[in-house]
Amino acid sequence: MRKGSEGRNRLLLIILIVTSLFLITLDLRGVGVLEGARQGTQTILSPFQRAGNVVLTPFKNFFSDITHLGRTRNQIEKLRSDNNSLKAQLANRKNADAQLDQLKSILDLAGTAGFKVINARVISQGSSQSFAQIITIDTGSNAGIKKNMTVLSEFGIAGVVKDVYPNSALISLATDPSFRIGVRIAGSQQIGILSGRGNRSASLQLIDNLTSIKVGDILLSRGSVANRPFVPGVPVGYVTAVDNSAGAIAQSAIVHLYTNFSTLGVVAVVVGAPVSNPGDALIPVKPQPTPLPTVTIYVTPSPTPTN
Amino acid sequence: MIFVVQEAVVNQFRLPGGGFSLLLIFTLMWAILSSQEIAAIGGFIAGLLMDLSPSSSGPIGQWTLLMIAACYAVSYMGSGNESLSGNPLGLTFFITSAVFFIEIAYLVTGALLGVQSSSFGQILITLFGISIWTLVITPILLPLFSRLHAFAFNTRSAI
Repeated sequence: MRKGSEGRNRLLLIILIVTSLFLITLDLRGVGVLEGARQGTQTILSPFQRAGNVVLTPFKNFFSDITHLGRTRNQIEKLRSDNNSLKAQLANRKNADAQLDQLKSILDLAGTAGFKVINARVISQGSSQSFAQIITIDTGSNAGIKKNMTVLSEFGIAGVVKDVYPNSALISLATDPSFRIGVRIAGSQQIGILSGRGNRSASLQLIDNLTSIKVGDILLSRGSVANRPFVPGVPVGYVTAVDNSAGAIAQSAIVHLYTNFSTLGVVAVVVGAPVSNPGDALIPVKPQPTPLPTVTIYVTPSPTPTN
Repeated sequence: MIFVVQEAVVNQFRLPGGGFSLLLIFTLMWAILSSQEIAAIGGFIAGLLMDLSPSSSGPIGQWTLLMIAACYAVSYMGSGNESLSGNPLGLTFFITSAVFFIEIAYLVTGALLGVQSSSFGQILITLFGISIWTLVITPILLPLFSRLHAFAFNTRSAI
């Protein structure tokens, strides 16, 4: 009985081993049925694996994280550091892009008038402690900048060179209370003196009392002898309010300056100007309002019935 | 069922050292508690499932062959040996040793069949990792698997 059982066991073992060897042979010969069986198993398992993945996701990396705790911490620190560095780079890039835009506009302005300019970066916005509106640029006499030269922004007049050093210069902004510039109104050619008031609005005093100004008039720099301190034809601002009080010796107005002084990043110092006056060529183009569509309705009266 | 748990749950964890095979532990334990005939058939079924596993790298039949031989041998050594089947500690070490040797046999047969293997260092880490995991997991699963076996065969061999 025992012999029979042992024989049966051996026979079963031999059958199973032969079957497994047969399977190995078939698989190594590349029979498609077996590969299909493995694919079928994966097809059956995949819903379970997906469900397991969803359920176990919070715990999945637990052991791995414990094992690599030190390494993970170092990695986090490194990634944080990289992130901060990239953020700084991005901020610098944004800053550079903004400066590039400003520079392009300045060069457009200077190029239209034929000015020879030296570009400079604003390195200090100055301090309001002394109530002076002064900035420092990173270019000085070594680059050819001299005192009393016109400084341009992307929109027009920014100020005038106040002091020059070998590698830097102080610029008195058009908003500075001590700032004075001779201006003319585009078109009518009336002249006046514009004075800084500490903010973006400046005051204009016309010289000729017989002429009049109106809101929206554009002011351009009148220019100085030998183009210093001011070159002619540079946009300064536009009139926002006119003072018509009786008894005034000359008409005065409030002018909104074109330059946005709070965002000055790049400026250009005019070191040379053409002999010819650019005239009104630098007047900024006014934005054209989008015309509203008009709707025309035709009414046709219906005939009234008569009794 | 155990195969699905292995594939859907255990394989989801990134266990250090290669983790453990629930199916391997279960089949070996089953084989120790069963007759050689049942052990061989159990080994065949378990091996075939392991071969069909998408994570298996060897040809279909390799695990089948190994598991038939291993389960038969384990059952042969375990049958009538009360010091082994009745002793949880001995059983745990026996299963761990069996897993260790089965893995080595898998590597050797894989090399003979032309299966690409990892570096020697990695093989050593995996071998010892699997052995340690088996040593840890087996005592936890032992009562459950033993009761399952007893339930299936209506015996009183529960440990």
